[in-house]
Amino acid sequence: MVRLSKLLIVLGLLAGGGTASAHHSAPVFYKVDERITIEGTVKEFRFTNPHAILKLEVEGEGGEKQEWTAETTSPSVLRRRGWSQSSFKPGEKVKLEGMPSIDGSFLIRITRAFREDGTEIGLPPGTNN
Amino acid sequence: MRTLNVFFAIGGCALALAFAPKDLHAQAPEGHGIAGFWSLAPGPTPPRRAPTPAEAELIALFPEGTVLLADAGAVEFPPGDYGGLEVHEHLREAAKDYDPANQTDPSLTCRPPSVIYAMQGPFPIEIFEGRDLIVIKLEYFDLVRIVFMNETEHPDDWPHSHTGHSFGRWEGDTLVVDTAKLSPATLFNNGVDHSEDVRLLERFRLADPNTLIVTQEFEDPGSFVGRAARIMTFRRGDDHVYPYDCDPTYGIAIESRQGRD
Repeated sequence: MVRLSKLLIVLGLLAGGGTASAHHSAPVFYKVDERITIEGTVKEFRFTNPHAILKLEVEGEGGEKQEWTAETTSPSVLRRRGWSQSSFKPGEKVKLEGMPSIDGSFLIRITRAFREDGTEIGLPPGTNN
Repeated sequence: MRTLNVFFAIGGCALALAFAPKDLHAQAPEGHGIAGFWSLAPGPTPPRRAPTPAEAELIALFPEGTVLLADAGAVEFPPGDYGGLEVHEHLREAAKDYDPANQTDPSLTCRPPSVIYAMQGPFPIEIFEGRDLIVIKLEYFDLVRIVFMNETEHPDDWPHSHTGHSFGRWEGDTLVVDTAKLSPATLFNNGVDHSEDVRLLERFRLADPNTLIVTQEFEDPGSFVGRAARIMTFRRGDDHVYPYDCDPTYGIAIESRQGRD
């Protein structure tokens, strides 16, 4: 079952211009001042620079299956927050919090990730980077 | 009694070592203390905030009229914003056609910026100080810079690259690095590139043993008027730079996403 909640977060940082990871810019594809939460089953996880990619299957509100693409910041940064290639395993159920796509596609930029039991995967942003 | 004193002395040393902070200077040589692992300090940099006294000392060395850019670190100027720099008309016009979504193109994803943009990116650097050269390894795109401390000019036949050719000298406690032969690459990540004639002057100075301030000044008459600068503050860490090993196919996963409106 898809669980899509939208939370508008005013980051303030944006007041003086765009904020993004350098080079591969988040504002190109994402609403950087909004957050959504999705829950789904991991299909594939690729932990490579410049950004890691997680594919997961999410059940839509009508029960239909949606294939979501989840992007992270640089794995170099995430390694220092405790992430690795084994952070996600196919078949595992996870909950992701992140920025929704601008074009409405099944795309999310992960800001935090949780296992089914609520355990956070790695350390949240800003704690060790 | 003597045996007891030795026992307590050894015990005291062991206790001191057990509770001593990690040696953050493990790689610092006898030289100038800049060797080691450095991460960009979080938060805004000048001019988005007031400079610290140590930063102000280095900013005061910029020639009059230098434009201090406000995009160092995890901040980018939006399209059309060049931080007050007078970019030439033909480059501003060309930048209107720039499509940042092309960054997911596998032919572009792993193309590194030059060290002008890369040094201020939110990735750590690692510095190794030798006798005749200083090596600066950037985590960002695995860029490796060699600063020749025994050279004073750029060879005419040196090939252009994203790291260019650098020579350096110590002016008191400040490492001054002169770089040329840089391949054209982005200045702001919003469609304007510097030319292959850009010249870069950097200063590296410790504010304290665990704080490194780096300034970059650059001129490129073919791209913009006058002189631009950035300032970055790095914090020492007990780590090494990781391999970046850029995967050019990441963009394919983004472009193959489902559910577009």
